[in-house]
Formats: sequence, C-alpha cells, structure tokens
Amino acid sequence: MVKETCLVGVLVLAIVGMTLAETGVKKKRPLPFEYGRVILNNYSEEAHLSPVVFDHWLHRSKFTCRLCHVDITFAMKTGSTGVKASDNMKGYYCGTCHNGKMVFQGTKIFESCSKKLQADDIKRCDRCHSLGKNVKREYDFAKFTERFPKERFGNGIDWEKSEAEGYIKPVDFLEGVSILRKKSLPVQKDFALTPKVEGMPEIIFSHKKHTVWNGCELCHPEIFRGVKKGATKYSMVEIMEGKYCGVCHSTVAFPLLDCQRCHTKPVQQ
Amino acid sequence: MCWFLTAILVAPIESFYCGIAHSQEDWSKEFDEICSKTEDAMTFSVEELKSRVDRCDALKPRIEKLDEPQRKVTLKRLQMCRDLYAYVLEMKEKK
Repeated sequence: MVKETCLVGVLVLAIVGMTLAETGVKKKRPLPFEYGRVILNNYSEEAHLSPVVFDHWLHRSKFTCRLCHVDITFAMKTGSTGVKASDNMKGYYCGTCHNGKMVFQGTKIFESCSKKLQADDIKRCDRCHSLGKNVKREYDFAKFTERFPKERFGNGIDWEKSEAEGYIKPVDFLEGVSILRKKSLPVQKDFALTPKVEGMPEIIFSHKKHTVWNGCELCHPEIFRGVKKGATKYSMVEIMEGKYCGVCHSTVAFPLLDCQRCHTKPVQQ
Repeated sequence: MCWFLTAILVAPIESFYCGIAHSQEDWSKEFDEICSKTEDAMTFSVEELKSRVDRCDALKPRIEKLDEPQRKVTLKRLQMCRDLYAYVLEMKEKK
C-alpha cells in the first residue's frame, strides 16, 4: 500500500514537473502588429510615466534602418541607448524628428517631450508612454498595411517587395542630421555560405539588399567582426540567441522561422 | 572718437565668438568629410584607410569637448565610422 502511494506520488510529481517545465520555456509568438515592438523603460517609471512602446513597423515603413541607427545613433539593443527626456527636448534621439516643428509627408510630427506640460499634453505623452494603457494609435497596422505584399512570418509583410512596388519609400536623409552621401559605387556581389548541416540549402547573402537600408557601418564591425570570408563560423544557436543575423532577424526583420528566405540555393548533387 | 572706441572694444569680443563658431563648423566639416565615404570604404587603398582612421582619432578630442547629448551622439557616429574604416583596413592588410 505504501509502495503504491509512493509510486502514485512520484508519477503525479513527474507529470506536474513536466507540465511546468514545458510552459516555462514556451514563448508567445508576437502578433503581426506586435512584431518588432520595443519597450523602453530606462527612466519612465522613475518619472512616474508608463514605459515607452515603440512599434518598429511604422517607423521602418517611413525611414531606413541606417537613418535611425547610424545618424541618430539608436543602439541595436533595447534600452542600451539610454534616451532621456532632456535629450529629446534638445533635439536628439526621438526629438530629432519629434520636435513639434518637423513636417513629414504633409504632417507636423508631434513633440516628444517638453518641460512645461498642460492638461492636454498628457495625451501627447501617452502616445509613446503607453504600456498598459488603452491608447488609440494614429496609424492602424491592418489598415496601413492592407495593400502591402504579404509574407508568412514577422509582421506578415514583405517589406522589400513593398518598397520595390512603391508602397513604401523609406527616407535615408535628414537635413541637418545626415551626411550627404554620394552612392556612386556598386556594392559587393551576392555570395553563398555553406551551412554546417548536410543537405541544408546554401545561404545566399546579398550585400545589396542589406546595404540599401543599413549602409555598411551598422553591421561592420559591431555585428560582423570577421574580416576574412568564411573564417567566422556562425551557428544557428548563436543566431537564435540574437547574435549576428539574429540581431535583426529575430527582432525586426523577417524572423528565423522563415528558413527558405536565407537558405535559398539548392544543394548541388 | 566714440565710434573708434566702440570698435576697439567690440572687435575682440566679436572675433572670440566668431572663433567659437568657426571651430564648431570645423569639426562638423571634418566629420562630414571623413564619414561621408563609408560606403566607398572597400575601394580605398590601405594608405587612404589609414589616413581616415587617423583623422577620426584626431577629431575625437574636439568632439569630446561638446556638450551633452551632442557629444554622446557625435562620438558614437564617429566611432562607427572609424571602426568601419579600421575593419576594412584590417581586411585589406590580411589579404
């Protein structure tokens, strides 16, 4: 009898343990409008404000990655820029554009932060400091992207095709901020990378596709340090942990689930 | 006489402020000149790349004197630009 009770006890513990272990590692896949969302809480709660909710999809549809991450210097890791309200007020970071003066596509861009607040300004604060609040967004994701070419994962949008077909025209230059660059020279040709797993299609990497939105210094040498092609061995584990390709392709750009978008070249028999 | 005295008093102040404006313009101009060519880095010779890395290093102390957050932002931009040139330089030297 004691033996049976012990056995049942062990069995129950094992089942409960396995159930908890499984739910503990499961990660919720973000919905298309949530994909690329960044929560910034360096100083917000200290200042009795909700953390900032930043949706990449809207900004990426209007500006290149390079403009924000090189010219305005937003870091690639969430929260590591340490943006302060005073920086925004002085016209840096979010305040570069969100200054209440800049007109973009016929619309004045709202001011991000200001010292003197009136009652109506609280609604303006809520436009960014919106975590946990039911804030009505000016742009609705489904409506904004309804005609864009679709993809399977991430935001469910083929951003590259969206630009090619003229649905978006990301701006790459900001007067008074960006350096005028003459794009006169051709970029490096596409090249193939051989995967470690036998039978897996080869990866075709396109410099052209990447430099058009990122420039060079966004990836080199901060993300990709290897100076000799093929010398650094990138593993999928590292990429899934957010290194190398995973810096963007697990956060904002199409996710790693979309294997065939990188592993495109059939295995040569 | 009065005009003459005013001119003598004002001239040094004016030149002082013009000097500040001028030096600010200088760093900005130099920064633009160095970092506007990052996309051409692969086509530069080893000497050209070395020269750009040196110019970035020479510019850094001037940018460090700027007020925040301009200092932080510009230093980061300069660092990215310098690191790219240094990266391409290393690549070319290893070939």
